[in-house]
Order: sequence, then C-alpha cells, then structure tokens
Amino acid sequence: MKLINLIVKVWRQENETSSGSFQTLKSGPISTDMSFLEMLDVLNEKLAKVGKEPIAFDHDCREGICGMCGAVVNGHAHGPENETTLCQLHMRHFNDGDTLVIEPFRARAFKVVKDLVVDRSALDSIIAEGGYVSVNTGGAPDGNAVPIPQDTAEQALDASACIGCGACVAACPNASAMLFVGAKVSQYALLPQGQPESARRALDMVRKMDESGFGNCGNERECEAACPKGISIRNIARLNREFIKAAIISYEK
Amino acid sequence: MKLDAKIPEGPLTEKWDRHRFNSKLVNPANKRKYDIIVVGTGLAGASAAASLAELGYNVKSFCIQDSPRRAHSIAAQGGINAAKNYQNDGDSIFRLFYDTIKGGDFRAREANVYRLAQISNNIIDQCVAQGVPFAREYGGQLANRSFGGAQVSRTFYARGQTGQQLLLGAYGALMRQVKEGKVTLYPRREMMELVVIDGSAKGIVTRNLLNGQLETYAAHAVVLATGGYGNVYFLSTNAMASNVTATWRAHKQGACFANPCFVQIHPTCIPVHGDYQSKLTLMSESLRNDGRVWVPHNADDKRDPSQIPEAERDYYLEKKYPSFGNLVPRDVASRNAKEQCDAGKGVGETGLAVYLDFAEAIQRDGESVISQKYGNLFQMYEKITGQDPMHVPMKIYPAVHYTMGGLWVDYNLMTTVPGLFALGEANFSDHGANRLGASALMQGLADGYFVIPATIAGYLAETDMDRPDTDSPEFKEAEQKTEAKITRLLSINGKRTIDDFHRELGLLMWDSCGMARNEQGLQDALKKLPGIKEEFWNNVLVPGTGEQLNQSLERAGRVADFIEFSELMVLDALDRKESCGCHLREESQTEENEALRDDKNYSYVSVWDYGGENKKPTLHKENLVFENVQLSQRSYK
Amino acid sequence: MGWIKQIITTSIGKKSVMAVTGTGLIIFLFFHLVGNSMIFLGRDMFNAYAENLHRLDFAVKVFEIGLLILFLIHILFATLLFIENLGSRPQRYAVKKDTRRTWGSKTMPYTGATILVFLVVHLINFHFTDSNLTLSELVRSVLTQPYYAALYIICLLALALHISHGIWSLCQTLGINQPKYNKLLESGARSLSIAVGAVFILIPLLALFYSNFLL
Repeated sequence: MKLINLIVKVWRQENETSSGSFQTLKSGPISTDMSFLEMLDVLNEKLAKVGKEPIAFDHDCREGICGMCGAVVNGHAHGPENETTLCQLHMRHFNDGDTLVIEPFRARAFKVVKDLVVDRSALDSIIAEGGYVSVNTGGAPDGNAVPIPQDTAEQALDASACIGCGACVAACPNASAMLFVGAKVSQYALLPQGQPESARRALDMVRKMDESGFGNCGNERECEAACPKGISIRNIARLNREFIKAAIISYEK
Repeated sequence: MKLDAKIPEGPLTEKWDRHRFNSKLVNPANKRKYDIIVVGTGLAGASAAASLAELGYNVKSFCIQDSPRRAHSIAAQGGINAAKNYQNDGDSIFRLFYDTIKGGDFRAREANVYRLAQISNNIIDQCVAQGVPFAREYGGQLANRSFGGAQVSRTFYARGQTGQQLLLGAYGALMRQVKEGKVTLYPRREMMELVVIDGSAKGIVTRNLLNGQLETYAAHAVVLATGGYGNVYFLSTNAMASNVTATWRAHKQGACFANPCFVQIHPTCIPVHGDYQSKLTLMSESLRNDGRVWVPHNADDKRDPSQIPEAERDYYLEKKYPSFGNLVPRDVASRNAKEQCDAGKGVGETGLAVYLDFAEAIQRDGESVISQKYGNLFQMYEKITGQDPMHVPMKIYPAVHYTMGGLWVDYNLMTTVPGLFALGEANFSDHGANRLGASALMQGLADGYFVIPATIAGYLAETDMDRPDTDSPEFKEAEQKTEAKITRLLSINGKRTIDDFHRELGLLMWDSCGMARNEQGLQDALKKLPGIKEEFWNNVLVPGTGEQLNQSLERAGRVADFIEFSELMVLDALDRKESCGCHLREESQTEENEALRDDKNYSYVSVWDYGGENKKPTLHKENLVFENVQLSQRSYK
Repeated sequence: MGWIKQIITTSIGKKSVMAVTGTGLIIFLFFHLVGNSMIFLGRDMFNAYAENLHRLDFAVKVFEIGLLILFLIHILFATLLFIENLGSRPQRYAVKKDTRRTWGSKTMPYTGATILVFLVVHLINFHFTDSNLTLSELVRSVLTQPYYAALYIICLLALALHISHGIWSLCQTLGINQPKYNKLLESGARSLSIAVGAVFILIPLLALFYSNFLL
C-alpha cells in the first residue's frame, strides 16, 4: 500500500436549476488500495467534519453490477480503466500529485440533480416501450421446450450484460443512447422468445429514445470504449437491422 | 398473542393446491378497485408488482434507487435452484425440499419449504419465457451446475450474472405494467413509516429523496420486499443502501420479527484493507476446490508469505477436518478463519485475513488449467487488490452475506399486521438457520411471481373495497412523526460522523453477535448498545438540510434504525442457547468443538413482538413440527 | 405514405438516409475515379472518353439530376443531424478525452462542408463553363494554377478522410457488422478511401509538377 495526494476538481451543483461550478479540494493522503468511491467517502467525511456539505454521488452495490455509480473522470466516463465501473476503479491507477477532474454524466436527456447525481429515468422510459417479452406470469411452457443454440444464448447474454449506467451516453460525442437501446433490442432479437414483438419493439424503443432528447449515433465507437461491460457496437448494427426490417418489411407502423 | 401460521391441512404434497382451492378469490372485475403498495424492486418486489398488476390490481411500486433495475438482487452471482431433474441425476421436488430444510438446520417450516421446491420449476419456465439468457448446452438445452455442496446438478445460471439477468427479466415485466398504466413507479423514495388503521396496514409514508418531501400513499394492502439487514455490521457484501428501516418501522407498528440473529457469513470474501473501506466483495466459493487455506504457525509472523517455509505454515482446516479439509461448509470455514485471526495469526496489514494458496494446484495442474477454472475470479481479485493470485497467495476473510431472519409471516406471507405482507429476504420463512447457495433467487421469485398473487386475494376478498384516505388522522400522525425524527437528526449537529457510529456498531455486532456467540459477549453488547444509541442521538453530525437531496440524512436515519435493531438481534441470540445453522453458540458444542443443535429446547421460530420505546420486546414461539423429515446432526470430521 | 415520413424522421431513419445516399455517392465516386483514370492513359484517350460520355446526352442528364438529388438529400440530412447533435449536450465537458474516435469520424461535418465547397468550385471549373476547350485543355488550364491545384489537393484530402469513416459507417448504419468480416470490411474501407484519395490527388499533383501533363 502506498499513500498519494491528489488535487480533486469536482463539479458542485446545488440542484437541477442552479448553475454549477468546479470546486478544488486537496484529497489529503489517499491509500492506493482505495476504490475511487472510497476516496470520495474520505473527502466527504472531511467536508462533513468542517461543516461543509459532502459531494453527492450515486452508488449502491460497489461491485460493478448495479449501474448506479458513474462520473466522468479526467475526460473518461467511469475513469480511464477499461471495462471498469467507477466503484471498481482503484486509486493505484493514479499517481501522487495528479489532478482529478470529476464531472457528472452530461447529456440533454440526463439532467444534473445535484453535484455528480444525474437523472437517468429516460433509460427506464425507453425500456417501458418494449424492453421485455410480453408474457404474463404463469402458463409458460417448459424451459427446455424451445432449444436455443448455445452461441445464441451467449450472444444474448453479451448484450443483456448491460447495467444501464448511462456511460455510453456520457461518452458519446452526440449523447446518443444507441448502445443501450441496441443491447436490449439485440437480446430479444437473438432469442426466439423475443421474435413475436420484434418489429413493434424496435420501432417503439427507437421512437422513445428520440423523444427523450438523446442525440444521433455517429458510429464513433466511444460508447463501446466506455462501456464497463464491454458491450460491442455490433449490437447497434443489429438494432439498425431490426429497425430497418421493422420499418420497411413489417406491417407495424 | 396467538401465532397462527395458517398451514393448510392435508399431506405435504397437496397443501399448496388445497390452499389455493380453499382461498377466497377476488372477482376479475373487482381487482381494479384494489390498490396495492409494493416497497422494493428486487427479485421479490419487482416480480410481485408485475404479477399483481397483470392480474388487474393497481400497484404502486417504490424503490430507493433511481431505477427499479438496480435493487441488490442484481449482485447475486451463482445461480438459481430448481427441481427440474433435467440431468436425470435423481433430483426431485422432495429432494430440493429436503436439502433446503436440512441446509437450514431444521429451523424452517416444512409447508413453506415444500411449496418453494414445487414452485422452483415454474420459475425457470417463467424466466425462460421472459427471455432470460440462461447458460445452454451445445444442443440448446438449459445447462446446470452443482452448487453449494449439493449432490445433484440443479442450479441454473447465466455466467456469474444470474441475479442480474433474473432481475432484468422481472424489471422488464414491471416496466411493461408501467407502460400499461397498471403500475405507478416511485423511484428514489425511502419508506419511513407504515400506516396502520384499525389494526390493518393501509399505507406508507415515504421521503422523496430528491427534494426531501414527505409523501403519503394509501392502499388496501402493503407488500414489503425490502431485503435483508446485513449492513447492521457496517461491512457486508450488501449494497450500500440496503437497510432495515422499512422492516424495522413496520415492526414498531406491530409486525413481529422472526429469528433476527440468523445471519449468514460467507467465508471467501476479499478482506478488509483499511478503516476507510466501505464494502466487502464476495468471491465464489468454488475457489476452495483448489486453494489451500493456511496461516503462519506463529502469531504475529509478519513475513512475506513467500518467506514462510512449509514447516511453519498451519493448514488448519486440513488438520482439523481431515475428510472434508478445505471444503468444509461455509459456517465452519468462516468460524475457523475468525478463530485463527483472533489468535493473532491473521495475515495482511490488518491481520484480518487468511491465505488461500493455489501454489500446489498450479504445480499439479499447470497455470493454464487453473486460469481456465478461476481466471475471471483471479482477475476480479487483482482488480480490487492489485495482486495476482497466480503468484501471491490470495487473502480471504469471512463477510456477512445474507440474513435468514426477517418479518414473521404465515403461509400466506402475511405478517402479524393484517394487510402487511413480506417477501424475499425481508421475511424469515424458507431458509431456517442457514440458506443454501442459489436459493435466495429462487425464494424471491417464488414469493413474488407465484405465492403473493395467489395469497393476497384471500386477504383482499375479505377487505372493505373503499379506498383508504391519506387525509385520515393516522396518516397525518405518521407523517408528523417522521418529520419530527428528521428535524431532530438535523438539529443535533454533533461531532461524530454517521459512518463513525455505524463502524462502531458494526464492529461490536461482528465481535459479539457474529458467527460465534457466547453469553458473556452478548450481555456485554446488550449493555453497550444503549450507550451507542444515546450518543448517536446527542452527538451525530448530519450536514445539509432536509429539503434537498441529502445522502447524509438518508444514512443517518438508517443507522439510527440499525442501532435499535441490533438490540433485538442480541436479545434473540441470547435466547437461542444452541448452536445452529450459521452460528456457533460457544456454550453448545460437542466434545470436538463442533456445533451442537438442541432440538429438544429450541425447535422453534423466535418471534419478537415490539414492546415500545425502551421496553423489552416479548418473545413468542412458533413451534416447528417435522412430519416428513428425520432430524439429523451434521458432521464434517 | 405517412409511415415513410415517420420512419425518416427517427434517428435511425435519418442515419439510414445518410447511408443510402452515401452509398450512391460512393458508387458515383468510384465510376468518376475510373473515368478520370483515363487521364493517365494520355490526352487522346481522355478526350475520347469525355466525348463518348457526352454522346449519351440524355442518360447523362438523368444521371446528373439523380446525382444532384442524392447530394441534396445527403447534405440536408447531414445538416439536420449536425444541428440536432449540437443540442444533445447543452453543457459540455470541461475535460473530454477521445478513445476510439478517428480523425475521419471526428471531422465528418467539417470534411463534408469542405466537400460541398469543393463541389461548387469543381462544377464551376468543369461543368458550368462555356469555353470551347477540350477536356484535357480545360484540366490543364485549371490545375496548372498553383492556387487551384492546392485547393483541389486539400479538398480531395478532405474527401478521402470523409469516406474513410463514411464507408465503414454506412455499413454499420445499414446493419452490416459481423465479426467474421469486420476486419475485411474495415481494411477494405480504409484501402478504398486511400486509393480514391491517392488517384484523385495524383491529377493536380501531375498538373502542377509534370509540365508535359496532358500535352
């Protein structure tokens, strides 16, 4: 274990309507074994003790699966490590004397709620448009009734590994949500269970995505680089395919 | 008070069928006239909210996170059990039932567990139909693995993300009902109070975490699916927001709490590395298949592990349990690790860890074989600790993982407050004193998808159809009570931070009410707890205001409840003078220092009734009757 | 036909229009390249090619109108997307680092605008001209002027950069992405854009530095 000192420039914003600004703080000695969020915890304890308000940031499971945490650190969504959520980023990847610039995920569709906390409910509303198979509880056929090739199941799992953190949107130069939508549409496009609704799903989810204020995909690949679950833009291509198929061939409007 | 578990008559295999037939139903046209509140959106909460809405009820769904998809069920890795017998290896509903009862050390209700085993098969079918991408064989059939010492392969899985995939399935079903208008979603809400009118649960008070507003919601029934209380120990594998507040406040309104001292501790977690640490991370137990557990022979040996010669290493599990060795059950492995560390032989900077060494396995099978088996686990370990287990022995330590205790519920999953139901980890019902691996997901989904939709009708059919009104004095009173508590927390303005108290509490509970307990330690804890509570309410520092997003205030409220709840845990542990399931009561051991269960005196569920502020709670006992299984003692020698 | 409007106003719809028109334009570019390559076979071949082409008077007219429509749609949708994307992140990052963006992808709107300017100049030079010069003379008269040659070279570099992202991107937009072929697709797109750029740029370079060019 090593101790390092950092300069932390963190975005502070009172609420959705106020305009924010950067606050510069000295971290004090930070153990390199700490996670990034633990470093923020330490900062917050220090702030609280001198009667200042701690930095608000979203977090929950702290093992990289709930998708609650996230911020842009030195220009990278979830920080500079590959396939790592902010909570799994450890301070040993930084050096003594480094300056950390911490900003919230920014997009028109994600309003800043406070400091680093953003409102990602737009992602939920996209799922509500069709990110599921419309099957009521009860009456499902036996799990083995429909065989699914192993490779198909694995590809579907690659897509459904999405944790809905919104880093793809944050990293996209156009703040597009295509990787998020592509991953969900792909999961069901691959599996037989998703077929009956595939056209409706692609059309509705894309429509909702556009309404929510996300930008347009520019095939810049920043999303897959930022994705903590390594979801490939292959899923965006599949979404495009599904959408075009639904728009041109299906009877759905 | 008379506890009636409402276990249906008849042979075990027919109870659930008979019960569903004998229960009252709600006319399909009338379902839309009933409102149901579901708190929590984990596997139990999301599946319940979705299934109830599908039936036609109006559901209000609350969660603490910004999205229902983030509930902590998402972090479950291993898998979900079902008695499908796809592998033709002799599994059956009865075997799953028996394994669960036995795994729970004969402290669970037969009827509930049998129903769970029956429903397990429907869960898999349901999830497959929802498009959950379970692992498959080349031929396209569902794959299984054996898990947690079971002798059959009955665990369904989706890589190490089974919980996530199942939760996303339930979340999808929930969002579908949101779209249909049958579920109204209330994210970033924390339940602060249960509202009871004329003895029945009729609503809740919540705090909108974004703007601090207190809100009241009324319904014909309230369903709590708010998870477990492992965070009472400060450090656990639970998510940071997991808390006891909802169930504790329901308890204070009359819902009895069952077996609060039953806590499961997982032996292979990444150890604590500093006092700033916020959470522990679980690693799969499969590591113990090839890793050898050891500590230095001599206490306070601070040498690097590579400098400690073979002769000075103590492979204590292999020595003590020659036949099971490193593969002893979770509780035995956990307890022994703590024993070694308490004796000063712990390793690492904190002295709170033991080595799990793969050197021999690597020598035997080669790096590539070991890497194939454990590659992703090794990566995860390296990501967190910065050390590669291929070259440096892994350090592990036990951590609190799951709580078997919870609100007492009858066969209908209804608590002792009529109209208040508890599902999933929030109730006590199926796991007895110890939960089998891959059974938590099964229970959450069984409760939510299949049990509550059937049993809630029986209650609603006998309830007044008039919509309860949030203008009633009970709601106002509950709201004021919450308001007063928040104001008080903000006005203390003391010197110690919230985490500071939480850490102190956690440590006390870990030492006195963890995996091994004794009368003396528990009595001491009982004496110390009121002091912590007193100091908390006079010296805690909660920055910020109540009218905005204030994460400190949220934590303060939860820690305050953890402190009160700890007392109940300790009381329960004191009462249970037997070793059972997950823990050792030091006074109850065999001659070989193994756990000794006492069926004669303790074959009951401890059901605690809240006595009032600063009053002792009352203990009721639900005697457990075993008609279908033979009670047996475990032995791993 | 309301559904068409509905589809092309969605983000994927707009991108697909870009991809389809882009495909058309790249096909045109390819034939234009083949045609222009006649220049390397000498003055007479080149002039003969031009004359033969203009003999197909009606077909050329139809083709030109089609091409104009493709261009206009491509430009219209590009502008629309550009303006929309500008608004997608009202508050910019103070620090933002790129990881997988390429020079091509990053500069699409700007190289696009450059190509538009080039197009106008190019058409004025070679299409809307009433001189009686033969094509080879015309090429010489324009491209031997250093300023024009430099402008052409810069604009053609922009074109190469534009299609270096454009070709791969249109495949992705139309859903063509398969791990087995992705390497091939990417290197194919890169080689094609380099080839197009190199061949086109060779012409002003020759005009500038080879005094006997087209004589």
